[in-house]
Amino acid sequence: MRSVALLLGKDLRILGRSRALVVAFVAYPLLVAALVGLVARFAADRPRVAFVDLDNLPKTLEIGGERFDVKGVIDQVDAAVELLPMPAAEADHRLKTGRVLAEIIIPRGFAARLRGMVESPELILKTSPGGLSDDIRRRTESLVFNLDRRLQTTYIESNLGYVDLLLHGGKGSFLGNRFDIIGLEAAGRSLADLRRRTPDPAARKEIEQLEIFVREATLAIGQTGSAMRAIANPIKLAEGHGGRSYILSATVQSYAVALTLAVLCVILGAGAIASERDENVVGRLTRGLVRLSELVAEKVALVTAIAVALGLALIIVFGIAVEAAGAPGGQPWQRLPLFALGLVLVGAAFGAFGVLLGVVAREGRTASLLAFLVVLPLVLVSLIPRSASEAPFWAAQLFPFSHGVAFFESALYDLDPWGRLGRQALWLAGLTALFGAASRAGVRRLAR
Amino acid sequence: MKIGWVPQRPALYGRLSPFENLELFARLEGVAEPKAEVRRLLDLVELPAGKEPAGRLSVGNQQRLNLAIGLLGRPDVLLLDEPTASLDPRQRRRLWAIAGEVRGRGGAVAFATQNLEELERFATRVAVLLAGELVFEGTIVDYRADPSAQVFA
Repeated sequence: MRSVALLLGKDLRILGRSRALVVAFVAYPLLVAALVGLVARFAADRPRVAFVDLDNLPKTLEIGGERFDVKGVIDQVDAAVELLPMPAAEADHRLKTGRVLAEIIIPRGFAARLRGMVESPELILKTSPGGLSDDIRRRTESLVFNLDRRLQTTYIESNLGYVDLLLHGGKGSFLGNRFDIIGLEAAGRSLADLRRRTPDPAARKEIEQLEIFVREATLAIGQTGSAMRAIANPIKLAEGHGGRSYILSATVQSYAVALTLAVLCVILGAGAIASERDENVVGRLTRGLVRLSELVAEKVALVTAIAVALGLALIIVFGIAVEAAGAPGGQPWQRLPLFALGLVLVGAAFGAFGVLLGVVAREGRTASLLAFLVVLPLVLVSLIPRSASEAPFWAAQLFPFSHGVAFFESALYDLDPWGRLGRQALWLAGLTALFGAASRAGVRRLAR
Repeated sequence: MKIGWVPQRPALYGRLSPFENLELFARLEGVAEPKAEVRRLLDLVELPAGKEPAGRLSVGNQQRLNLAIGLLGRPDVLLLDEPTASLDPRQRRRLWAIAGEVRGRGGAVAFATQNLEELERFATRVAVLLAGELVFEGTIVDYRADPSAQVFA
C-alpha cells in the first residue's frame, strides 16, 4: 500500500504540472455539461413533419351549427411537431429522402365528412421506418385524440341544442331542413289543458297516458346532457405544473457525469499505465520496488481520485444551475455522499478498463487514441434502448457507462434507491475486478 | 545482497526534477533517510537540486541521474546496460568515476558493453555473448590471450 501511495502522489504531482491536462480536466466537464444540455434541448425539440392539405381546410368549420376552430387545432399540433405545409408530391419526396420524419395528409372530402356528422373522416399518417417513427406516431395519435375530443365536444354541444329544442321548443334546422317545434314541456301543458277540457272519459284516459309519456320523456331527456358529457370524457385529465426543465433533470445530470467520466477516466487510465512504459520505468519498478498488481491498483486509484474530484465539481455546477433556476425540488445536496460513492465505483471501473487498454496498446499516444476510439462506440451502444435490440443491451452491460448512469440517477433522485444501487454497485465492482485482473495479467508486457 | 540496476535508456520520470526522482525511488527502496541520501547522490553525480524537470536535462545528465537512481540504497552489485552508449568522452569518464564508488566499498560492477576500450580499462572478468550463446568467460588477461574470444575485435 505504501508503494501505491507513493506512486499515486507522484502521478498527481505530474498531472498537476501538465497545464494542458489540467485545463482539459476543468474545461471538459463543463463542455460536456453544455453539450448534453444542448443535445437534451434538441432531443426535446419538435420533429419535422410534412403537412399535406388536399381538402383546403378553412380556418373554421361549422359543424351542427357550432363553429369548429381548425386553425387552433393545427396550431396546437404545431407546438408538438414542426408542421411544414407542402404539396403531396414534395411531401412524399421529403419523406423518402429523410428530410421529414412523417407526413400527415388531410384527404379530399375531409371537411364535408366532418360536417355531415354521419361518417368518420380519415387522417392519413405516413412515417419512415426507424426509432423516431414511434415517437411521431404517438404524437399524431395524441393529435387525433385531441381532435376527436374537440369534435366530440362540438358534436355534443350541437346535439344538446337539439335536446334543448325537444325540451323547450323553438326554431332549428337539421341536414338543411328548418323547423319550429313546441317542445315536450309545452306539449305537457297543452295535453293537461286538453284533458281538462275533454268531457269524454275514454279520451281523457288516453290523454293521461300521453301526459305520463311526455313527463317521463322530459325527465329522461333532461338527464341526457350530463350523460352525454360523461360518455364523451369518461376520464378527465387534470393537468398541473410541478416538474423541472429537462435540461436540469436527473437524467441529464447523470448522463453528463457518466459521459465525462467515461471519456476522461478511460483515456487517463490508458495513458497513465502506458506512460510508465514510455518513461522506461516499469522494469525498474517491478525489480522488487512495486508488485505488478500494485502498479495496476495505483493507476485505478489515480483515475478514481480524479473521477471523484471531477464528478463532484460537475454535480456542484449542476446544483448551482438548478438552484439558480429555481427548479422544483432543488438539488438533492443531502445525497452527495451517496453520489460520491458512485463516483468511486464508476471511476474505478472506468479506470480499470482504461488500464487494460493501456496495457494492450503499450505506448502512451497509441493508448490514448485507442481509449478515445473505444469509448465513443461503447457509450453509443449503451444509449441504444433495450426495446430496440437485446444484443447491444447486453454488450453495454460489460461497459460501466449504463451502470454509472443508473447509479447516479438512483443515488440522486430515487425515493427508495437501495435495491437499484446495490445491483449497480455489484456490476461496477465486478467489472472493476474483471478489467483489473485482465490488466494484471497483461501488465508484464510493459516491462519488455 | 542488494543489486542496483542502470538500464541503457534512462528509466526516470521526465516531469519530475532529479531530486524528486531520486526521493521517490529512495522511498520505494525503503531508504531510511531518503532526503539525505538524495542529497548525497546528487553531490556524487554532480547534478543540481533545482526544480528543472529531468526530461529537460542533457542526455549526459539524464544518464548520470539514471546511474544515481541505480546507486540508491548503496547496492552491493551494480548492473549497467551499455551505460556510456550515448555519452561523450568527458561524460563517460565521469560516469565510470561514479560507478567506481561501488567497487571502492567492496562491491561489484557488472556492465554490458560493445566498447572494447572500456572493456580493457574497467573490466576484470569478461563474459562474451554471441547470438545469445556464452562463447567465453574468464579474466581480462585470459580474454586478451584467447583469440576465440576476440569476436568483436
